[in-house]
Amino acid sequence: MTIEVSVFYFAKSAELTGLKSETIRVASELTTVELWQDLVSRHPRLSAVRDSVVLAVRQEYLALGDVRVSLRDGDEVAVIPPLSGG
Amino acid sequence: MAEAEGDPRDLVKLTHDKLSVDTVSDSVTCPSCGAISIFIGTTRDSFEGMKVKQLEYEAYIPMAESELRKIYTDIRARWPTVRHICVHHRLGVVPVTEASVIIGISSPHRGDSLEAVQYCIDTLKATVPIWKKEVYEADESCWKENKECQWTCQS
Repeated sequence: MTIEVSVFYFAKSAELTGLKSETIRVASELTTVELWQDLVSRHPRLSAVRDSVVLAVRQEYLALGDVRVSLRDGDEVAVIPPLSGG
Repeated sequence: MAEAEGDPRDLVKLTHDKLSVDTVSDSVTCPSCGAISIFIGTTRDSFEGMKVKQLEYEAYIPMAESELRKIYTDIRARWPTVRHICVHHRLGVVPVTEASVIIGISSPHRGDSLEAVQYCIDTLKATVPIWKKEVYEADESCWKENKECQWTCQS
């Protein structure tokens, strides 16, 4: 089953994709690395930051890997480069 | 100005406006507190010999607010005497030497607010989704990476 989620890009990842956000259709059940690979298939330049980003799903951080997520229509996903606040 | 005793305040502000220490300090003042501890993070003019022309901040705003409130929950668990907590963080272009972040925490005695402020800035740097870009002469720029952040590459 596929659903629609919003993806937000920040910092370096926004520069690589040329986007601040987009809406994509993805499987509702997948791992974070599969979700990442979907984003890279749409924006190949994102692969440059593979080793330094995590994702945020519904505003909770998740590492890229075998972490399973259940996505729902309207969920927020974000690509999170290394933080530099403060 | 000081307000009467009320519920503990958890204050967060992400703004493009210039930050004010007085505003943060006033927002955590309370009659039962003998201490207000303030941290100001300011922007430096150089990095590894390169002159910084300006700094630009961006944030995942709703998540930055929720992560800050998680930090506040931790602070109140570890330092139960803490009264009010306030973090103001600037977004957009921040001129060199101006404040990018101001943290204010009040408590009856100074030990707790001093320790809580240290914990607050250290944890903010590790967990709050805000990013800083340094822009150098000749329009070169660099997205900074806090060493406190767990997914910063150690290269």
